[in-house]
Order: sequence, then C-alpha cells, then structure tokens
Amino acid sequence: MKKELEHEFVSNLEKHQNIVHKICRMYTNDQDSHNDLFQEITIQLWNAYPKFRGDSKFSTWMYRVALNTAITLYRKSKKDLHTQDYDEVSFKIKAEVYNDEIEQQLKLMYKAVKELNDIDKALVFLYLEDQSYKEISDTLGISEVNARVKMNRIKKALKNIINP
Amino acid sequence: MDELEFLKQNWKKQEENLPKLSYDDIYKMIWKKSSSIVKWIFVISIIELLLSSLLNIFMADSSYWEQMEQIHLKQATIYIYIVSYLITFYFIYCFYRNYRRISSTDDAATLMHNILRTRRTVKTYIAYILISTGLYSVVIAYFTIQNHQVVEQVEDVSKYTFDTLQWVKFTVAGLIILAIFLLALWLFYRLIYGILLKRLKKNYKELKKLEI
Repeated sequence: MKKELEHEFVSNLEKHQNIVHKICRMYTNDQDSHNDLFQEITIQLWNAYPKFRGDSKFSTWMYRVALNTAITLYRKSKKDLHTQDYDEVSFKIKAEVYNDEIEQQLKLMYKAVKELNDIDKALVFLYLEDQSYKEISDTLGISEVNARVKMNRIKKALKNIINP
Repeated sequence: MDELEFLKQNWKKQEENLPKLSYDDIYKMIWKKSSSIVKWIFVISIIELLLSSLLNIFMADSSYWEQMEQIHLKQATIYIYIVSYLITFYFIYCFYRNYRRISSTDDAATLMHNILRTRRTVKTYIAYILISTGLYSVVIAYFTIQNHQVVEQVEDVSKYTFDTLQWVKFTVAGLIILAIFLLALWLFYRLIYGILLKRLKKNYKELKKLEI
C-alpha cells in the first residue's frame, strides 16, 4: 500500500515538476538554493500527500503546498547569492525564430517580477500560471477583491520598473 | 500591450530550459529530513517550556521547603505548586493543539496565522512564568519580613532584623535574578522573532494589508 502511494506520488511530481522548478526559480538566486528549496517542497508535498484526496487537481494542490513552502516554511539560506547567469532565464524555444529584442524584453520583465516582495511574487506567479482570481484568493487566503486590487497595484509597479 | 500580459503569453516558453529530475532523483528526495521553520519553532518552544518548568522544580529543594515552613507558607506553596503544574499542562496542551493545526495544505494566510499563534502560546507561557515568579517572590519577601518582626520582640533584635548591608545584598540578589530572567527572555525572542519569524511576520502583514 505504502509502495503504491510512493510510486503514485513520485510519478505525479515527476510529471508536474515544472511547477516546482518555476517557483524555485522565482524565490531563489542560485542553483544550490534552487535545489534546496526543490527538496524542501518535495518533502512538504510528500508529508501532505496522504491528505490529498483528489478533490482538486494534483497541480492545483501543488501550487498551495509549494508556495506555502517557498513563502513561509522554507528557511532562506544566507548563502543565497544573487548570481548574474542564474537570472538569465531563457524564454527561447528551438523551433521559433530567434528574436533578440523580444527575448531581452522578457528578461527585463522577469527580473522586475523577481524584485517584488514574497507575496506579490506569489500573486504574479499564479496569474502567469493562468489561475483565476478565485483560485488565487483561495491559495493565498485573501478575498477575491483584495487579490484584484493587489494585482492592479503590482501591474502599475511593474510598469514603473520597466519604463521609469 | 500590458507588460505582464506579454510575459504571460511567453511564460510557458521557459519550460524548455528548466531542469529535469528523474523518477529516482525525486524518490530519493522524499526520504530526506525537512528543515522547515516549523520544526525549528517546535524544538525551540519545547526547550523553552522545559526550561521554565525545570527551573521551578530545581529551585524547590529541601532547604527551600524548610524555609517555607519557617515563614508559614509551606501549605500555601504546595497548593500554588499544584495550580501552577495544572496551568503548565494546560499550556503544553494548547501548544500541542496549535502545533498540530499547522498544515502546509492550508491557504497561505491560515498557515502563517497558525504558526504565529503557536509561538504566541509559548510567549504567553513565559510571560506567565515571569509574572507569577515575580509576584510569588514579593509574597515570600513579605512573609519573611513579617516573621522576623514577630521574633524580634522576644530575642535580641539585631540578630533577626536586616541591617543595611543585608538589605543591599537582598536587593542586589533580587535584581540579578530579575536581570537573568529578562536576559534569557530577550535571548529567546531575539532567536525566535529575529531570525525565524521576521520574514513570516512581514509577509503576513503584507498579505493582510487591504483585508477587511
């Protein structure tokens, strides 16, 4: 029984690991911290897995536990250095025609998002992951109105960072 | 176009460049030990609860009880001890109940609230220990002085009453004990709130901003 649960969990996480990597990338600044946070999220997900009843999608449930870990449970290491190459998130895909200007703009935008505080980052992350305001407010434990107001403020703040 | 909308449209494109962990990599991870702040808070809180109750037990040695008998407080002290143990157990129960409530599957605000509440229980307990110890010390001091006054009519007054030097010693000793208590308290709170909960408190405030 336990073996089955382990197998089911690891397969699910393997399939959806991108979500966790994207969160790690947003909340850490170097590869070691990325790996540390990934591990802590995995442990938290596994500890909580027996409570996952399948009443929501595995991925939706993951957002909650993974973001809780990144924002609240994970102890940030002092070694979390801000390294330049780590920030160079690449949005390229092989098949697409390479467009340097767009690529640069996206990088700039991503960097601006990384400068936001922990909570705003979580809001933006869920928004970028195409979660509805209802889902965002449920995950963060705030009202839908508050989520919308916060989001509008973040958009304005980002605009100011990009076009000062 | 909205900058964020632009990022959203291209958001999935970063996935190509994300690390890919194998089934085995992930399987190995689930057996590793967590180092979350909840675990730290649990360990530190237990140490605080134990230290404060141990302090009570070790202070009450046989000479302490003799002294209590001399100033007619033995019976009262026994009752006070029973009550204080009941209160201690109640606090431990509250702490355990709050701790059990902490769950990573709660929404972010509830999770943060539950962690802060668990800490608050320990904080209240320590405040209770300090205040009750302080009050009790005053009562003992009062009874000690009272009893000296009773005997002084019968025997040589100078043997039983405090001279100035003794009063100074008595006061200094009291102040040192108080200072040690306060220093210990300050250290606990530096440790917990300074290191572990600073970020959490800031995030909780940020999250609750605008919330009615």
